[in-house]
Amino acid sequence: MNGKIKHYGKIAYDGLITNNATFKLVLGTCATLGMSTSAVNSFGMGLSVTVVLLLSNVIISLLRKVIPNTVRIPAFVVIIATMVTLLRMVLEKYIPDLYDSMGVFLPLIVVNCVILGRAEAFASKQPVLDSAIDGIFTGLGLTCALTVIGIIREFLGSGSFFGIQVMDFKIGFFTNSAGAFFVYGICIALFVLITDQADKARRAKQARLLRVPAGDQPLPAVESSAEEVK
Amino acid sequence: MTVKQFFKSTAFKSLAVLIVIVLVAGALLAVFNDLLYVSDEERLARSLAKIYGTEVTAEEIELSEEERTYNNGTVDAVYYVQDDGNYLFQTTGKGGYSNGTVTLWTIITCTGSREENDLMLTGIEKVVYDSNSGQTLMGNFGESFYALFANQDELVAGGKDFTANENMTGDLNNIVAGASMTSTAICNAVNTALACFRTVFMGGEA
Repeated sequence: MNGKIKHYGKIAYDGLITNNATFKLVLGTCATLGMSTSAVNSFGMGLSVTVVLLLSNVIISLLRKVIPNTVRIPAFVVIIATMVTLLRMVLEKYIPDLYDSMGVFLPLIVVNCVILGRAEAFASKQPVLDSAIDGIFTGLGLTCALTVIGIIREFLGSGSFFGIQVMDFKIGFFTNSAGAFFVYGICIALFVLITDQADKARRAKQARLLRVPAGDQPLPAVESSAEEVK
Repeated sequence: MTVKQFFKSTAFKSLAVLIVIVLVAGALLAVFNDLLYVSDEERLARSLAKIYGTEVTAEEIELSEEERTYNNGTVDAVYYVQDDGNYLFQTTGKGGYSNGTVTLWTIITCTGSREENDLMLTGIEKVVYDSNSGQTLMGNFGESFYALFANQDELVAGGKDFTANENMTGDLNNIVAGASMTSTAICNAVNTALACFRTVFMGGEA
């Protein structure tokens, strides 16, 4: 039971941090740059991608033994396109404001590399529950990343926070494509810096824990783990 | 290859699986399209609620094809709002990014009545975004951008039009930096509503 929780935790951590679609894998850049002009739009886009990722991952995982390898890509595209079209219909009916603001980026989710990438690399090879967790957490990782970029661009570009005017200034550069690239680059650099530092700290802590006190007989398994960490 | 061999081949299996996936996806979309269909009446009610923030009674005015078509845009619909006596225009402006268009709702305020033939344009009360085709930067246009159209009553009543010119400054120049083509389409949509009101309702020349 504990092992299973650890396994699912690792999938979730990979989706959120280790393989963060936006900051680590730099996937779905078109939507990231285009939709991050405001925090609300970014959050909406992130959640839409999460829903499509979850549904397509589950369906593709369910059908992984039925779909022949030779036609897997067209089959995945049909499944993803169906999910995106369903999402469009739901948003148009129930959240028309978000549907309007997403414009052409909503149908473009079909060709978002994150979704096809996770379908090909994960869902087509793993069981349903694993794929569902991967879909949710990869989507949430993307949502968090998009929202952070959106908050920064909206604050600097329009002086507002989630649509609420908080400052009386505007730096037009941040609402443009160049500003989007600039903020995106800074965010990637900070994310990599922070995760690298955290990783180093974690490894150092692990090495300290595995260091054997003088006079004690080291266990072989522990010794090999310590070597790996070094 | 015999027929029996074909039916046992990977090619047939691949084809069959793809066809089944496409058929199921098609059926699913058909069902959901039926369930989630947004009718024209619902769209109009939604738009009116978005524009006025409350329920209003609006009567559609029939226009001929000639009265709908202008140089930089088209008039999709015109409504006479009985609650306040103003005219609500749904217009589409051309000249957007990638030859796309932007559709807006524009409330034109006026004095007089159409029946008496003494309608006078007094300004624009509000401009509300409706939809677009092919515009990628619609998110850049906030409330303050649309509010500028409503703050120029004197010039609008004097017969002036809006513009989105990067090299120009002035009261009627309304542009978002970096999205000049979409700004042009938006200005064209507003100008189309003004042109229609001036020519069709006031009997002037566009």
